Amino acid sequence: MRPFGWRSLAASSLLLAALASAATRPQYGGTVRISTRIAPASLDPADGAQQDSITRRNLTRLIFDTLVTLDNAGKVQPALATSWKAEPGTQRWEFWLRHDVKFHDGSPLTGDAVAASLRTANPKWSIFPNGDSVVIECDAPAPNLLGELALPRNAIAKRTAPGKIFGTGPFQIADWQPGKKLTLQAEEGYWNGRPFIDSIAIEMSKSFRDQMISLELGKADLIEVAPEQVRRTMMEGRHVVTSAPVELIALVFARDRQSAEDGKLREAVSLSLDRASIRNVLLQGQGEPAAGILPNWISGYAFVFPVDANLRRAQELRGEVPRAPVWTLSYDAGDPLGRVIAERIALNARDAGITLQPSLSGTADVRLVHVLLGSIDPHIALANVGASLGLSQPKFNGSSVEDLYQAESAILRTQRLIPLFQLPAAYALSPSVKAWNQERDGTWRLPDVWLETEKP
Amino acid sequence: MSFRRKLLAVFALTVFLSVAGVAWIVSAVTRRAFEQADAERTVALTAQFRREFSRSGEDVLRRVQAIAGSEATMHMALALSHGSPDYATYLSEAKSIAENQQLDFLEFVDGQATIISSAQWPAKFGYKESSVSNLAQSVSKNAFLKQEELPDRAVLGLFAVRAASVGEKPLYVIGGRRLDKDFIASLELPAGMRAMLYQNLGPGFSSQLLIDPSGGVQRADKLSPLISKIQQQGQEASEIVHWSSNAADDEMIHAIPLKGQEDQLLGALLVGNSRSTYVELERRIRAAALLVGGGGILLAVLLSGWAAARVTQPVEQLAAAAREVAAGNWNAHVQVNSADELGELAEAFNRMTHELLEQRERLVQTERVAAWRELARRLAHELKNPLFPLQLTVENLTRARQQSPDEFEEIFRESSSTLLAEIANLKAIISRFSEFSKMPQPQLQRVQLNDVIHGVGRLFQAQFQSSNRPAITCNLALDEHLEPIAADPELLHRAISNLVLNAMDAMPQGGTLTLRTRQDGARLYLEVVDTGSGLTAEECERLFTPYYTSKQHGTGLGLAIVQSVVTDHGGRISVQSSLGRGTTFQIDLPRNMEKLPAAGQQGSSASI
Repeated sequence: MRPFGWRSLAASSLLLAALASAATRPQYGGTVRISTRIAPASLDPADGAQQDSITRRNLTRLIFDTLVTLDNAGKVQPALATSWKAEPGTQRWEFWLRHDVKFHDGSPLTGDAVAASLRTANPKWSIFPNGDSVVIECDAPAPNLLGELALPRNAIAKRTAPGKIFGTGPFQIADWQPGKKLTLQAEEGYWNGRPFIDSIAIEMSKSFRDQMISLELGKADLIEVAPEQVRRTMMEGRHVVTSAPVELIALVFARDRQSAEDGKLREAVSLSLDRASIRNVLLQGQGEPAAGILPNWISGYAFVFPVDANLRRAQELRGEVPRAPVWTLSYDAGDPLGRVIAERIALNARDAGITLQPSLSGTADVRLVHVLLGSIDPHIALANVGASLGLSQPKFNGSSVEDLYQAESAILRTQRLIPLFQLPAAYALSPSVKAWNQERDGTWRLPDVWLETEKP
Repeated sequence: MSFRRKLLAVFALTVFLSVAGVAWIVSAVTRRAFEQADAERTVALTAQFRREFSRSGEDVLRRVQAIAGSEATMHMALALSHGSPDYATYLSEAKSIAENQQLDFLEFVDGQATIISSAQWPAKFGYKESSVSNLAQSVSKNAFLKQEELPDRAVLGLFAVRAASVGEKPLYVIGGRRLDKDFIASLELPAGMRAMLYQNLGPGFSSQLLIDPSGGVQRADKLSPLISKIQQQGQEASEIVHWSSNAADDEMIHAIPLKGQEDQLLGALLVGNSRSTYVELERRIRAAALLVGGGGILLAVLLSGWAAARVTQPVEQLAAAAREVAAGNWNAHVQVNSADELGELAEAFNRMTHELLEQRERLVQTERVAAWRELARRLAHELKNPLFPLQLTVENLTRARQQSPDEFEEIFRESSSTLLAEIANLKAIISRFSEFSKMPQPQLQRVQLNDVIHGVGRLFQAQFQSSNRPAITCNLALDEHLEPIAADPELLHRAISNLVLNAMDAMPQGGTLTLRTRQDGARLYLEVVDTGSGLTAEECERLFTPYYTSKQHGTGLGLAIVQSVVTDHGGRISVQSSLGRGTTFQIDLPRNMEKLPAAGQQGSSASI
């Protein structure tokens, strides 16, 4: 080979390497367009009147920070609080705040602001600033306080006027049309580093179908994907990302068990359920059949709750009850998947000799519900499920896995709840979204995301 | 009822019956015409429904056929031939294909009738399709009616079955279209008609299963009997349904059963035909009939009035004139206004009254002459008897002037006495005649007839038992319950006394006198019965004629006074007699209590 050829080859290799490097190197700028079903009327993280969802929690984390966070292993990581200390008994906690953090209105993060924000979210707590720190005194021992503080609802916000709110997060509010549109601007002076993207434009109140159309038309970069659509979306070549199971689908009885016969019928319904068919067909293979409240990745013991159907036993139990009432089974009118699942459950129950009548009525005997676990902390997640469904709060004798199991089993023994599935959160991304990353619980890490500019 | 009213009634009845008859005939003809039109329209609608049913069935069949031959179905059949299909892959397949083909129902079913994909019930995958008994046989058939079970209810649909086979495992395509309000709405109905569909999806009747183009049917329970009838009989049936108390809301409902593959009753098409037009027409006919009838009756009144004026007025005038004649006014005269039969009748009446007047005048003259003659005879007879002794006495006095003064004095005294006696006799005769001419009017008062009779009895008691003549036995057979009457007791006493005197004169050889009373309603009867010599028929006829007497020394005024008294009291007197056996006088008196003066009447009421 001639010398020129070698030089040319070397130059070409360097050029290709440079080009390859440029293609994978993060770029600043651009707007990530997000389309979502949610339509919150308020961005206040402490506003409990707004419907909870993974997307809303993610929006909260884009604008606000919490004192601490939980990593994928469930361990506490510092955020606005750099350190903390719990006094013996875990009833009194003190948190030392990070310096040089400012709200989006330019005011510094102070103990007073943090105390005021936490008081709004937790009126029962006694919270007061103490120099660079904030002291929280609970009315009872709070061994899980750190997990609580990591929840989005405990994000630190500065409320200056009704509807006027400022956070310390990586993005600040540029435009807010409640329930319709939200535009976020990258916070230049974010304490954890400026995000790569300049802004985020969020279109709200969009159905799954509209979101998919927007993605296909290049009008959205990030959309939500219904669980039953994940498989098809992936087959169509879309980039779909899913979280670990973070949402529980369950049947909830409106009343406590009325009698032993009532308990037998509830057990018969549970045993008649062919969760595998529902998962494989209706959920298109997404999610995990569940007979426990917490997913296995959080509790570690969910596999001990049997999920297989036992129709013969269900029929035997039904046979032990002379006269079974007709139960109505309600589902969310805006949830097509819920309707099909409810109808399948009614078919399964009919095989056992029990009549479940699907209905849109809110005052049904049994409800098909979706509930977010809310936290990677199993204790908090279990308590959150109980509170969300109006069940009795779990009683933990300790912080061990066995104590957790006993508490969860106690809830299940009430027969108010029949867990069905644990569902992940799923999103589809446009090809221009790079460096997408998320926590196992579905929390976005948008500050790391950058957009690939279109090639001329 | 007067002739005028009869005439009015006949006219009105004739008009009413005529109008009612015409109205009934028109109503009957109209009803028949409407019923015939209803039947024809029902038949036409039923035929249209069957055409629509058939057309829709063909459409369903064509679409199912297209689906069975589509590539998607072939892929599914191919996957089925390789083994158990992946239900997840086909979960939404049936629904999307059904939407594309505009079908309400679509299921893909394998050879074991297991549902692979269902549009109407996606969650039913893996379950058996049991509503089609024999899929293989259904493939070659046309569309059919079928009951389809849905998660929340059952519905009716028009279904077709076709198969797509790849290899040995058939894949059945069961597609259908709902038989619902839209299907009913597709029927083109003439005004006044409507169609409803009853989905016979369970035993008995359920109002929720009855639909029309607007959805549910109001007050559907009214159709329950009709539905029950076709559920039991399985045949067409009709019934008039009364939706409200207003007859215009009535509807003739014709029910046509709809059956499935195995001849089971799955539904019924209800064709409603409003009767409002007919009822409205019937009302108009009735109103017209009433109007015409009313007008006719009014016309009848006018006509009858006119006819009465023409016919009954002369008759009434004649009747009034006759009443006047009966009342004694023989001068009554009827005006003759026409030359017809009524005019002739009026002229005859006038001639009759005229002749009656002339005859009465002649009779009066005759009777007056006869009476004067009789009076003269009686006067002559009565006066002649005293005059003769007067003449003899005067002649004796004239002769006595030749006698000595003492003898003359004695003769003069005797003659004077005789003259005074005869003159007194003449005065008595003149007094009786004077009394008869001056008979007073009765002074009515409350009188017990029996008391008057008892008074007469007491008066004559001594004479009945007088030794100067043979004894007369007097029997009083009096009704003790006689009610009082309005009468003049003095005149009654006088009349009865005359009858008693008359009876005594009739029994010179003695006998029995019976006075008998009784009451019959408002009239009282008195009988005076003697057992005397009796009277001849001629005597009986003239007995009450004044101045007539059958006796040697009677004035002939006694019974005339009796008759006058009885007549003045409003009564009647009659006589029955037979020679040798006695005579009976019967007096019939009305009570006449209403003629009493007010005070007396009140007193009478008070005494009662």
